Amino acid sequence: MTLTTSNLRKRPVTPHLDIGRWRAMSGPFKVGSVILVVHAIFAVVGMFWTPYGFAQMATGIPLSGASWQHPMGLDQIGRDVLSRFMYGAHIVLILSFAGTILGMVLGTTLGLLSGYLGGWFDEIVQRLVEAMISIPFLALALVMIIAAGPALAGEPALIVLVVGLVYAPRIARIARAAAMEIATREYVAVAELRGEGTWSIIFREILPNTANVLLVEFSLRLSYAPILIGALGFLGFGIRPPTPEWGLMISENRNLLIASPVTVFGPGLGLASLVIGFNLFTDGLSRMLGQRPVVGA
Amino acid sequence: MKSLMEVRDLGIAYGREGGWIDVVEGVSFDIERGETFGLVGESGCGKSTVAYRLLGYGIGNNTVRTGQILFEGSDLLKVNSRALTRLRGNRIAFVPQNPTTALSPGMRVGSQIREMIAKHRALPDGSTIESRIVELFALVGLPDVSRRYPHELSGGQQQRVTIAMAVACNPDLLVLDEPTTGLDVTTQRQIIQLLQDLKNRIGMAMLYVTHDLALLAQIADRVGVMYAGQLVEVASCDKLLSNPAHPYSRGLIASIPTMEHSTARSRGLRGLLRRDQIPAGCKFEPRCDFATAACRSTAQSLVAVGERHSVACMHWSDINARDARQTEKPNTTIPARPDSKPESVLSVDDLTLSYTKPDILSRIFSTARPPVARNISFDLLPGEVMALVGESGSGKSTIARAISGRLPPQSGSVKLDGKLLQPTLKLRPPEQLRQIQYIFQNPDASLNPRRTIRAILERPLIHFGIEAEPTTLETALENVGLHAAYLDRFPEQLSGGERQRIAIARALLVNPKILICDEILSALDVSVQAKIIELLKALKQQHSVSMLFISHDLAVVRQLADRVAVLYRGELMQVEDADALLNSPLHPYTEMLLHAAPDLRKDNYEPSVPAMPESRSTGNKGCPLAGRCPRQIGTICGDSPPPLQATSGGFIRCHISTRQLATQTFRQHRDRSQI
Amino acid sequence: MTILRLIVSRTLLSVLTLLLVSVIIFLILEALPGDVATRILGRDATAKALEVLRSQLHLDQPALSRYLHWLVDLLRGNLGVSLATGRPVADVLGPRIVNTLLLSLLAFVIYLVLAIVPAIIQATHRGGIIDNAISVLTLLLLSLPDFLLATILLFTFAVAVPILPALATVSEASSWQDTLRAIILPAVTLAIMMAVYAIRVLRDSLIEVLRSDYVRLAELKGLGAYAVLWRHALPNAIVPALNVTALNLGFLIGGVVIVERVFSYPGFGTLLIDALQLRDIPLIKATVMISAVVYIAANLVADICAILLQPRLRAGQ
Repeated sequence: MTLTTSNLRKRPVTPHLDIGRWRAMSGPFKVGSVILVVHAIFAVVGMFWTPYGFAQMATGIPLSGASWQHPMGLDQIGRDVLSRFMYGAHIVLILSFAGTILGMVLGTTLGLLSGYLGGWFDEIVQRLVEAMISIPFLALALVMIIAAGPALAGEPALIVLVVGLVYAPRIARIARAAAMEIATREYVAVAELRGEGTWSIIFREILPNTANVLLVEFSLRLSYAPILIGALGFLGFGIRPPTPEWGLMISENRNLLIASPVTVFGPGLGLASLVIGFNLFTDGLSRMLGQRPVVGA
Repeated sequence: MKSLMEVRDLGIAYGREGGWIDVVEGVSFDIERGETFGLVGESGCGKSTVAYRLLGYGIGNNTVRTGQILFEGSDLLKVNSRALTRLRGNRIAFVPQNPTTALSPGMRVGSQIREMIAKHRALPDGSTIESRIVELFALVGLPDVSRRYPHELSGGQQQRVTIAMAVACNPDLLVLDEPTTGLDVTTQRQIIQLLQDLKNRIGMAMLYVTHDLALLAQIADRVGVMYAGQLVEVASCDKLLSNPAHPYSRGLIASIPTMEHSTARSRGLRGLLRRDQIPAGCKFEPRCDFATAACRSTAQSLVAVGERHSVACMHWSDINARDARQTEKPNTTIPARPDSKPESVLSVDDLTLSYTKPDILSRIFSTARPPVARNISFDLLPGEVMALVGESGSGKSTIARAISGRLPPQSGSVKLDGKLLQPTLKLRPPEQLRQIQYIFQNPDASLNPRRTIRAILERPLIHFGIEAEPTTLETALENVGLHAAYLDRFPEQLSGGERQRIAIARALLVNPKILICDEILSALDVSVQAKIIELLKALKQQHSVSMLFISHDLAVVRQLADRVAVLYRGELMQVEDADALLNSPLHPYTEMLLHAAPDLRKDNYEPSVPAMPESRSTGNKGCPLAGRCPRQIGTICGDSPPPLQATSGGFIRCHISTRQLATQTFRQHRDRSQI
Repeated sequence: MTILRLIVSRTLLSVLTLLLVSVIIFLILEALPGDVATRILGRDATAKALEVLRSQLHLDQPALSRYLHWLVDLLRGNLGVSLATGRPVADVLGPRIVNTLLLSLLAFVIYLVLAIVPAIIQATHRGGIIDNAISVLTLLLLSLPDFLLATILLFTFAVAVPILPALATVSEASSWQDTLRAIILPAVTLAIMMAVYAIRVLRDSLIEVLRSDYVRLAELKGLGAYAVLWRHALPNAIVPALNVTALNLGFLIGGVVIVERVFSYPGFGTLLIDALQLRDIPLIKATVMISAVVYIAANLVADICAILLQPRLRAGQ
């Protein structure tokens, strides 16, 4: 049973997320935010300054473990792993954001339209989305990279495109479900009865009310993007060497696992902490927005 | 003799961020063996919280702070959980509010009763568990449905199942939490009747929690009125209804629309229960017409004022005296209708409607669905309020959808001011869209939660290109009784009634000719309903707008409507002037509806028995009421469509002639008054 | 009858989806604008290599007829001939699929235990220390990329504490004990990766169901906690988790690619990588189609289970 009805005396609160009130935020959200901020600073620093050049070879004795000069050790050809790791930070972040944003734009547009319009348009979109999702995402991503051919392989733009295309149908499905739910609300009927156009209804009535779901979805997809990009790099289908993408580095240094584990687990820890940051952020965000993220690939 | 259940000074609080909030304070009452105690109050007053505690159950994170709950002398708040599970279901049983969500969806209903009997080993000697279940179903008027799943039963049937389950172990006390709220009037009355019957047969006591005093009048022996977590009055049911002592009880009773007085008494309840505006003294003080300065600071507690009658108000005797002086007859003169028949604003002609399912597969598999509404014709005159009544699923809202253009009709036409309206919204010009405005049932969903009230009200003006004065919006709000400060609020900061006012304001802003009100009161508390009815009456005068008022509540209809159209299973059974219809219903179905509407006095309702339950309408050819009609005259009813017969103010569709219907009605009324 | 109709209609939809998958795969690999052979082999490829590829893929024919040929062959069970080895794709795939099936089966059994037990503990101790601890743990594991988790497990149990083999190389000659020892690490990796999702979903849905009206009524009927959980709560809470399990099977297929690679296990996943690296188009098409079939079939089974578990669904939407 609800306790209160309305009240006029209380400070007017907006139903929007109030980012300014740090104290009111959940613990996971705060921890996640701090981790992400640290990563962002790290990435910016890494863009302009690293102890050694990220592609500079023979900075020390290859295969030697962690030392003061080389906290993350050296790889097989004597490159400083920390320098590569620092330089790679902004690449992971930029690729993740760009790919996820592309996926959000495509998926949201398609999903909202299909969920609101219904009918044959929805039917076709739904079948296509279903088919795209039925191809395991890693396989789909790899096939797209192969189809692009060696000329484009390793280009950052291709990775962004692939992440966006892999994400789009998954996001479209969420956006569609949310739009379908909102479309049954009576305020949408009111707008229809007024004779508002499709886009006006989508932007004025539906999008603002699916914003919470979409925000959580964005955050969730963003959490997974570094893993997906890392997996592509790990399998050798990611960014072209010697650009130090973290997944690629883990793959390159796996041969040194016994001799110098730090070269693997250093970048690994970085990648994991980034994803943990995103996940905590998502978890906290979804709790604050009263949403439950739909987990699963 | 000791009472069966004694509640002593019960105080319950909810845990929330920043501490505890008291939801129930100092509640004391007792229930004798075999007695029905009603607990009534508006939503949020804490009545359900108390009810659950009688089974030793806490909803959510609430905790008992003070008091005792003595069941046969032992305190339920102290016994261990083992002992509680032995009591629950066995000695104290529960009937939930919403049977649709309360029955386990994946389990046959028979098994759900079986596990109850098995758990408490409550099988009477000499019967098998199967025969006992069948016996229980028979007790609640159901055939053997034990192999059915809950979703295969109607709402009324589901509630009968939960009742059968509750009485399976012959409990001493039945706790019922709003057991009929989601049901149709006729079903509601059947359930009440069933409960009364069970009470007489089994002799159990009941705690009946509801917001509906009219229903309570039918079943309760004594009633406790709750307000903001406190009992403000406890009295026998008759005493309370005839002579309420607490100002809140008086307001609550006054705001109930009944069939008796067509003009609502103006002494309803004002304002709303606001948990943050509760003074230290009497909690009802902010809304009380009789409040004095002392009320604000002096806490009130129940004081005996008569035999088994107690009130928590220090002014109760003054109020009674004052009231005696003020009673006056309500003005019952009805303004005469002009004789010349004006042109209708809206005319609906032979409308047939059906829903087609959108997705491809069901189109491949399923056959054409039968229409939801057939051969609907009626006219709406300027400034007239036409009520469309019927049970849920009768097609009321479907017709409204078609008129508004959200559902293209299968056949038939709708004319506005003599001009044919296009079937779909896309084809209608903006001017026509403006002329017909629609207000929805659920005010929580009809306002976009992400826009301010200002944006919500502005949008139609911009869309239709209506010139607005700077004060237009303020005036619009004032017209519906809201302060201009509401413009910068979001819908979620408003109460349900306030939101419905905004929806009304939005509809009227664009100056429509027709207002379609789709069950706009059913989601609101009674006291709020009364206010909105007043508002609609005033606006009807002010804006000279015609209304199509959809409702299942005949009492509301009586207060507002000029004419009434009665709908049953998608067919118009009768259209008639409101007064004529409500005074002499003629049509058997209208009669059934009127008969089932609860009144504030005990009316010993008995459901009308179908004359020929086996003879149903075959293939949608005959009268839809055939098989359920108490006056069915033969198989003709099920075989051929009922003829249209003109009456003084409209028409009726029935195989029996109007003259015959009129005399029969008369006889039945006389019979009843002789009893 | 309605159940049968529902199952038939779901199956038909699945077949339709599968057909669309074949169209999508074909479009991506063979029908994008531009010369397919150049796009796949790169501009530096020799004219001869390009010519060979063109003839092997019948690129002289129009795309539609190539697609129809492939589809008809697929329906006949003819998966084509591998470009790299010249052997029929079916022969290449067969033993790899058997190996992966073995791995997946073990992973799935471990997964079921890992998913259900913690979720029940969490839901029944909601808000407590155990609940929070498991929540934090699942969140951490959720954040570990699969290739990293595999590497960590490998380092821990094969390098630091060498009790299990680092490489899961098996052959037909291996004894079953050796095979089991070889695949236990990859299987555990896969199971953990899947379980972290399922635990969260099952926990949330259990908590929601435990708050539902019907569970409350069951408690008010006087049923014990055990009966309420097993008879009323779990059957209804398991349905969302079923869907995740189906999604997880999709993940499993992606996961085996990574995990098999880390442990050098001769399965379906390593085969896909090899095919991709060698640009063996017929083999790629076949492997991707098979993974889609597995995914779609898993979802179909989950759907049907949900229909059987929830009679309400049988009535249609």
